[in-house]
Amino acid sequence: MTCKLVRRHLGAFIDGELDPASQIEFERHLEACAVCQEHLAFERSFHQQAREAIAGVHAPEHLWNRTLHRFDEIDATRAERTSIEARPMRWRQTWPIAAAAAAVLIIGSVVGLPESTAYQGAGMLQDVVNLHSQALPSDVQAEAPQDVVRYFQGKTPFPVKPARFAEPGMKFVGARYIKVGAHPAAALYYNHQGRRVTLLVFQSPEIVRNAHRTHVGGREVLYHNVGGNVVTIRQHGGVNYAFFGDLDRPVLFQLAANARVAY
Amino acid sequence: MPGKSKKVEAQRRLFEAEVRPHLDTLYSIALRLTRSPVDAEDLVQDTLVRAYRFYDRFEAGTNFKAWLLRIQMNSFVNRYRRASREKQVFDGPMATPVGEGVMSRATMRGLTDPVGDAERQLIAQEIRRAFEELSDEARAMVMLADVEELSYKEIAEVVGCPIGTVMSRLHRARKQLQGSLQAHAVQLGIIEEDDSELEDPIPLEAFRARKAAKS
Repeated sequence: MTCKLVRRHLGAFIDGELDPASQIEFERHLEACAVCQEHLAFERSFHQQAREAIAGVHAPEHLWNRTLHRFDEIDATRAERTSIEARPMRWRQTWPIAAAAAAVLIIGSVVGLPESTAYQGAGMLQDVVNLHSQALPSDVQAEAPQDVVRYFQGKTPFPVKPARFAEPGMKFVGARYIKVGAHPAAALYYNHQGRRVTLLVFQSPEIVRNAHRTHVGGREVLYHNVGGNVVTIRQHGGVNYAFFGDLDRPVLFQLAANARVAY
Repeated sequence: MPGKSKKVEAQRRLFEAEVRPHLDTLYSIALRLTRSPVDAEDLVQDTLVRAYRFYDRFEAGTNFKAWLLRIQMNSFVNRYRRASREKQVFDGPMATPVGEGVMSRATMRGLTDPVGDAERQLIAQEIRRAFEELSDEARAMVMLADVEELSYKEIAEVVGCPIGTVMSRLHRARKQLQGSLQAHAVQLGIIEEDDSELEDPIPLEAFRARKAAKS
């Protein structure tokens, strides 16, 4: 047992993290080595002083109340989701997603697309649907839309602005940075008359490759059928805006068509 | 709240009761990590919201505090990491290697037993300053080990690395803290720097021989 070894692991010795055999060997060495004893005394005292210098911070009183308020919101969203799940539209069921994946695969083989592309498209669609049902918390809140733009700067290879809607019932709630497959994306959360809508902003050609196309109010809207539900997609400047939510089918088409994605 | 089921209410009460005792810990670590009271509050709130959402994934009987701290550490890394550069510095070989004998014995003696309250306070202030200069992860290490007194196993869980890595990172963080403190303490005249070069550790044999010669 060398002094160097002992001093290298004095911290672990003081923390009681050495194995019992080493602990005994260390104690023996320390008993005999005056210099190492000094190091030990110093380390002990230093740990103590560091603790006293850094510790002793208390959370401000209002933090707990603020947090309880957020819990209330989560409970409310959960209660709402439970009531929505009782309706025929069920985002959380996995079989429609599996059916959609199969559907995309069949389309893929019919039109002769490489299988990997079809897989990718199907997987992405599933990611999109899962993202909505997970209802992950926002990274940026809705209070300041310019914060959203700033937040995504450098994170996504395209600028992210919350889409605007003419519908007064459509409110922007917050946004979160996520990845769809390997693509960086922005999840924008909205509330449409009490129901959640997720708008995914991302850049990947795969998801629109097998999409159906239609025109709503003079605007081209792409869509994928997912079980009994639909994911509607608007394209602008090489960026996709995918809409999905606990809403009826026509509403999702309307929202996609009416969204102001460039301003 | 109307329509709130009994199960949801019971779950909520249980979660609140489990979380409340850890609020100060979460906040104090968040404050040391973000260096800003506003960001610290946001980080704690984000942590608790995530924890509440994923409470059903927490395995009863495992360490709740470590679970919370792990969520907070992940939130911090995701939210505030400066393009993950810091993590790379930590995971890779450190830019500034830390030697073992950074302190002379005179310095050690000067810092081991500060004389009087004034000196004690001055040193505490210097420790805080030195601590603020540490990297994010080094601050986390010192907080978790020295302030929260978590075991290395718990720290490994929180930070998400092997126990051996905790040991070396913690050692490095403490040595950096001491090195920075020493430099400033000498400048401020809290301790005197001695000119004698760092003494070689006395080998056990030599020590015994000297002891034997004395008697």
